[in-house]
Amino acid sequence: MNYSIEAENLNLWYGDFQALIDVNVKIPHGQITSLIGPSGCGKSTLLRCFNRVNERYGNVTTEGKIEVLGKNIYDTDVSLPELRKAVGMVFQRPNPLPISVYENILFGLRIHSPMRSITKADADAIVEEALKSVFLWTDLKDKLKARATSLQLEQQQKLCIARLLPLKPKIILMDEPCSALDAKGTRAVEELMEILAGTYTFVIVTHNMAQARRVSKECIFMFLGELIEHRETQSLFTDPQHEKTSDYVHMRYG
Amino acid sequence: MNAMMTCALRKQKLVSQRSTFIILGIVGIPIWNVLQETSAADTEAASAAMPLNMLSPLLDDLYTLLSISFVAILFGIAWAFYLEEWLPQTHWVRRFIESVVAILGGIPSIFYGILATGVFFSDAGTLKTIGVVRGPQDTGDMSALEPLSFQQETPVFYILVLTFILMVMPLTIKTAQAALRSVATPIREAAYALGASHWQVLKKQVIPIALTRILATGCRAMSSALATVALIFGIYTWQYTNGPGEMSNRFVLFLGSALFLSIFSSVLIKLDASASADPTHPTR
Repeated sequence: MNYSIEAENLNLWYGDFQALIDVNVKIPHGQITSLIGPSGCGKSTLLRCFNRVNERYGNVTTEGKIEVLGKNIYDTDVSLPELRKAVGMVFQRPNPLPISVYENILFGLRIHSPMRSITKADADAIVEEALKSVFLWTDLKDKLKARATSLQLEQQQKLCIARLLPLKPKIILMDEPCSALDAKGTRAVEELMEILAGTYTFVIVTHNMAQARRVSKECIFMFLGELIEHRETQSLFTDPQHEKTSDYVHMRYG
Repeated sequence: MNAMMTCALRKQKLVSQRSTFIILGIVGIPIWNVLQETSAADTEAASAAMPLNMLSPLLDDLYTLLSISFVAILFGIAWAFYLEEWLPQTHWVRRFIESVVAILGGIPSIFYGILATGVFFSDAGTLKTIGVVRGPQDTGDMSALEPLSFQQETPVFYILVLTFILMVMPLTIKTAQAALRSVATPIREAAYALGASHWQVLKKQVIPIALTRILATGCRAMSSALATVALIFGIYTWQYTNGPGEMSNRFVLFLGSALFLSIFSSVLIKLDASASADPTHPTR
């Protein structure tokens, strides 16, 4: 089996509070893995470890090892921009930058390449390709100069996925990507994920168990900072091995 | 329907902009008049009662003050960036500066004015001789009145500069920090998650978004500084001269500029708010 992310004995503290306790996890390549668990169980924290965005909040201590694409990301020679280029992230609330749709898609590329190295023709092609792969091209091809924040929420979230694509990431992390969307928008984003899953590895945090069941191949259940169970989604839901998992998936709490 | 709404919004924005310009005109014209009058007085070779070249020291003072407060504002903005963007919330330097700023910023600027006035008009020794070299109370001769000058490099000059800095910097730090904080976290997160460095996030997102507000901040701080100085001149006029003269011209000029800057900063904030307002999600 080919793994995109392997975490070993991962411990993480926010100040004195230990948010992750001895997490060992292997996330397979090219498919959707979901993280479920009650609020505050550390699933978002774990997700944010994979591209090290949580270090920005300060006061974070990490121990252990995370290998992303075969490279330990806590090594001193790891460049954060390069890591975040390879591991894209989509947030809970759609957060397009307050610039045009066109510039949103090129933003990542522009910060990773020297000034004026992208020609207009290249840029146009990149924007078109990115928008086509998230099925926004027909809707937005006349609105490329519009402010991205003026789009519908569903379009904004798709745009947030689209702007990762020009960077050619290997892994896309999603932190409750559909919680701000209605049923139709959720369906659209899920379909998009299913289509893209062959090319990219998706790790998705979700509170919606139906969604985890629908989209993910493997599912990880976390509880109070510990990884309780990691199995194939269907068997985790139908035949949970652990008491806490069964309580959670049968909605006895959480 | 949507198009109609946007049209209405745009119209509303236009109207508000137009009224803003009218207000600016109303405030600007008297200031312009003062300048014109003083320069006219200047060329008319000045009567004995007004022996001084009026326009030039007037403007010199204004420029000196503006440049002092400009430097103080730049320092204030730099501090705001340092505190907000580099120091963690719990760092002792940040806590210290923020509490000092909270204390100083809470003092109404009139107290600074009174402080500076006290220094100016103190009867004690050297300090007095700097502001008013021969006050009317010494000679009883109004024509011996010399202008308050900020140009002289004397202790009072430095005390005044210090007063200015004390007054302008806390205000600038506080409001510029608020401006930086107003750049929503999701925007920063988005840029960081795409691999931007701290500098790139500042340069490409934070500064463009916060710039108008930071400018407004600077204008407001400068306005409060000018208003305070105007107050000093006002007190001077009221205490030592009878009727309008050079000092009251300064009073009008400085107060006018203060008012102008204050309104200008409100306009900037209003324009910023209407530019960042989101037509599709008005409640956000």
